[in-house]
Amino acid sequence: MLSRIGYVLRETGASLRRNLTLTLATLLTVLVALSLVGLSILIQRGMSNQLVRWEGGVEISIFMNPTASADQIDKVRRDLEENQFVRRSTYVDKAGAAEEVRQLFPRTPEILEAVTEADLPTSFRVVPTSTDQTLVSTLVARFQRAPGVMAVYSANEVIDFLRNVSSYLNWALALAVVLGLGAVLLIWNTIRTAMFARRREIEVMKLVGATNWFIRWPFMLEGMILGFLGASLASAAMWGFNQLWKSRVIDEAARTNLFLDQLQATPAQVNATVLILLVVGTVAGAVASAIAATRFLDV
Amino acid sequence: MIRVDNVTKVYNGDVVALRDASFDIPKGEFVFLVGASGSGKSTLLRLLNRQETPEKGDVWVAGKNINDLAGYKVPYLRRNIGNIFQDYKLLTNKTVFENVAFALEVIGKPKHVIRQQVPAILELVGLAGKQDRFPHQLSGGEQQRVSIARAFVNRPLILLADEPTGNLDPTTGEGIMRLLDRINKTGTTVVMATHDRTIVNMMRRRVIELDRGIIVRDQARGVYG
Repeated sequence: MLSRIGYVLRETGASLRRNLTLTLATLLTVLVALSLVGLSILIQRGMSNQLVRWEGGVEISIFMNPTASADQIDKVRRDLEENQFVRRSTYVDKAGAAEEVRQLFPRTPEILEAVTEADLPTSFRVVPTSTDQTLVSTLVARFQRAPGVMAVYSANEVIDFLRNVSSYLNWALALAVVLGLGAVLLIWNTIRTAMFARRREIEVMKLVGATNWFIRWPFMLEGMILGFLGASLASAAMWGFNQLWKSRVIDEAARTNLFLDQLQATPAQVNATVLILLVVGTVAGAVASAIAATRFLDV
Repeated sequence: MIRVDNVTKVYNGDVVALRDASFDIPKGEFVFLVGASGSGKSTLLRLLNRQETPEKGDVWVAGKNINDLAGYKVPYLRRNIGNIFQDYKLLTNKTVFENVAFALEVIGKPKHVIRQQVPAILELVGLAGKQDRFPHQLSGGEQQRVSIARAFVNRPLILLADEPTGNLDPTTGEGIMRLLDRINKTGTTVVMATHDRTIVNMMRRRVIELDRGIIVRDQARGVYG
């Protein structure tokens, strides 16, 4: 048994070295295809994480004029409480607004010295009963006309934009599938070439009674190694991209208080994606080489 | 040991390589297959280790009808049959020792068996001391001896030889025949296809003659014809 394992490893290693250019071409194709798959999955996960966060959070902000009277503010508050499409609303007073400014510009406290609390607008943060676009637009239009209101903002357009981008990711995945097919064909061809290079040995093996599985193993292992190595490289590339994204985009966004903190995959999601890539790469390599080996052996 | 029963082999639907061939070869016999090129000698040998299957008739080896053999069992049939060829089919990138060891290695024999059996068989075929040479460093006769060592190292019941002296001069060919004779005397059945009139006449063994796929003569202690 040990000598068999030794035989398989020896033959596989020799074959990978013999076809170095083809080995590299195959690895690169697997790398690119699986990187695309991995990145698409990560981006999709990140977007859906952010969407969940946004959809569950503040949808509409109604900013009152700094000069709005208490009556006007009360009227808006009552309207919000009575409106059947409003799940809940909170009021941010001038002190709260000042606190938000401090959070928004942590490195420039002088801004607060330039504006007094009295200058700051108070606001309502409104969560509607649904995130349906027409409902949100109706609410926005309604409160825009109310007396004492300065401006109404909703995150709905941003969310729709994100959903849109998210659907374009399917194209990236389709491209990845095509590339993946190319990778499988390349593995298939690599194995066929390797078997052709060793056709005399295979002929002798068959004549002295080696089983087809014995002949096939080194080639299948070669295919699996190609798939696994390519997937490992793709995982590394994906991990690197994820780190860059976190440090350059998410952390930067957090500093300027753009609310993008969830626009990233969780570590568990990254790990799951790596696992998917490794399994897909290895299985694809094994299947492609098994098909190549079987076709060659049965001639 | 071998029984061929009304066997017909047709290539591509119209080339008849063998027609209604029947014969019995008992264990331990030495048989020459003679006939012109294309008379069906090689086809017959290929039917015996199931590199081909016949269109009609049955081939029995060691008590089994090998036409009915499931594909995955064919390797185990072949472990009982050694093959030697006119062109030796040695692996040029392996030494003499490695070429012979390869045959044991790929059927899963453990290392200590290989280390013991390979030198013994090389001694038997007269290649002691040459185990680290590469095929291109050997004469034709020596290369054929390596090929015989590889075919016989697993002690098969049957040895199939397709013109083993075809590329050798008469003296070297005789040496090869003496070796095959010795192997035959250990109880191994030998079936040898040949064109070599001198050798057949010298050995005086059973001769089966083929002419365009038909057995025209089956003679004990025969001559080339």
